[in-house]
Amino acid sequence: MQDLEGDFQENWRKWGRRLGKLGSWTGWLIILVIAAFYLMSGFYQVGPASVALVKNFGAYSQTIGPGFHYHLPAPFQSVVLVNVSNVRNEDLGFRTVRPAPNPQYQAVPQEALMLTGDGNIVYVEAIVQYQVKDAQMFAFNLIDPQLIVRQAAEAVIREEVAKRTLDEVITTQRTAIGSQSQVSLQALLDRYQTGIAVRTVKIQAARPPDQVLAAFDDVNSARQDHDTFINKANQYKNTILPKALGQAQQIINKAEGYKAQQVALAQGTVARFLDVLKAYRAGDPGVTRTRLYIEAMEQILPKMNLIILGAGEGNQTLNLLDLSKLLGQGPSSPKGGK
Amino acid sequence: MKTLVVFVVVVFLVFIGYRLAAFTVDQTQVAVVLQFGKIVKVVTQPGLHLKTPFLQSVVYIDHRLQDYSVKPQEIITKDQRRLVVDNYVIWQVTDPRAFVKTMAGSFVQAQLRIDGVIYSNVRNVLADHTVTDIISPKRLAYLQQVTSSSQAQMKSYGLKLIDVHVKRADLPEANEQAVYKRMASEREQTAAQLRAQGEQQATQIQAEADKEVTITIAEAQKEADQTKGEGDATALKIFSDAYKQDPDFYRFWRTLQSYEQTFSGKDTLVLSSKADYLRLLQGFQPAQTAQQP
Repeated sequence: MQDLEGDFQENWRKWGRRLGKLGSWTGWLIILVIAAFYLMSGFYQVGPASVALVKNFGAYSQTIGPGFHYHLPAPFQSVVLVNVSNVRNEDLGFRTVRPAPNPQYQAVPQEALMLTGDGNIVYVEAIVQYQVKDAQMFAFNLIDPQLIVRQAAEAVIREEVAKRTLDEVITTQRTAIGSQSQVSLQALLDRYQTGIAVRTVKIQAARPPDQVLAAFDDVNSARQDHDTFINKANQYKNTILPKALGQAQQIINKAEGYKAQQVALAQGTVARFLDVLKAYRAGDPGVTRTRLYIEAMEQILPKMNLIILGAGEGNQTLNLLDLSKLLGQGPSSPKGGK
Repeated sequence: MKTLVVFVVVVFLVFIGYRLAAFTVDQTQVAVVLQFGKIVKVVTQPGLHLKTPFLQSVVYIDHRLQDYSVKPQEIITKDQRRLVVDNYVIWQVTDPRAFVKTMAGSFVQAQLRIDGVIYSNVRNVLADHTVTDIISPKRLAYLQQVTSSSQAQMKSYGLKLIDVHVKRADLPEANEQAVYKRMASEREQTAAQLRAQGEQQATQIQAEADKEVTITIAEAQKEADQTKGEGDATALKIFSDAYKQDPDFYRFWRTLQSYEQTFSGKDTLVLSSKADYLRLLQGFQPAQTAQQP
């Protein structure tokens, strides 16, 4: 101190005097307080979902689990906290504008539109959920984990979609695209050494682009129309067939009736004949015949106009005997009959 | 009092000394120690290191994965179609010495360089393939090619390209519209076909039904005619069985019945007075056999 220049010495003395006035114990106290604060800055808490990576002069030394811990202050040690339980989420093809409840989404068409294997364009929205599986890799290899996951996921999903036709993408292959994308994405992220575990790649929406949606919907309604036509036809069929069967039965029944009628009539007629024949044979056939003949004539002749030609002895003139005129009574005159 | 001052001064000097002669390299970094602009040491081990105060300076280089989106570029494919390719590159500084020498440790410069190299390589490689191949899984092989040739070009800069990946391969706007038009027309065709098929099947079903109705009625008619025929035949047999017992009497009896049926009042009958029935009018002669009048 004596080596130093005079005015500097002067200064020191002045300061010294002031400090002296405060008392050296006050100075020590200040230093103690500062030192205490400095040392206390090493306390840290690790949440239940996280781990702490402790670094000595920037070099990773160890990983500490959840709890209340202490590390040496500033230049000596530092910690990096990594949440390893939290499932992180990335939206592809859309953004969540407002989180649940009442979530609100916004489409990002340039991300969602992609080419399919058959040269069509499809609109796909997906979410990727991932977790930290290696905190060291995650903390020390990555600058922007979100970006790397997004880009790799987008590339992988597009590759999977490009393997399939449009129809497959929008119908049966949705889940397959998700699960295969997950496998490929995991492989890619492992290759980059990101320390990320992909939990799910889920295809939220896979549909034709808005520009052609109407045409696709029309195919669905065409399918409905197709079925409607067929149903109507079947309805027609189901209506006319039973009717026809009924009609057929009616025709058959009528015929059965006719048959029965014919047989019954014949039997009736024959029965009557046989009765007569029996009687005819039982009596004198000649007498019966004559009787039958005369009875019949009695039935027929009174109803008729009769003209009787006398077949006189060689007389060629016609002898007309109008019986009805003679008798003055006939069931009908020729005029009346007309 | 004096000890207090000494303590403060010592702490201060230690701090200054630390700042001047030591440096830390973070886990995420590598460091290059320069002396008058010349590289004297490359530190890849994170932790505490020493340097010569005042004479040496330290350049820190981020050793983490760099994720760079290459500007989307339009390429013309082998089949003369245009495709907009959007790539991303994962790269890393692996040789800090070369990186500092050639790029002065500038990431901006490195990205520009990468941009140019990827641009030309993507163009060269993908132009040899068709759109179908480029969007197919085959593209991974093409990208491998792009990655390795780009890597060869970037090696001298101390950079390693870990992956060049096509994030998107889309059609240019104009082509996109054409694709939409084609997609729509394809679906319209399908819809028309579906409706036509439905109508066709419906008509078929109806025709089938009509046919079945006709057949059913005809079959019934046939059966009916058969039944009627049977009835007629049975009746005929009944008649003939009965009448053949005495055909002569039947003729007589039936004729008389027939007269009753056929002749009605309006008819005029001309009879010869010699007819059997009238014979008695002329005087009685016993008739042995009946004659038809």
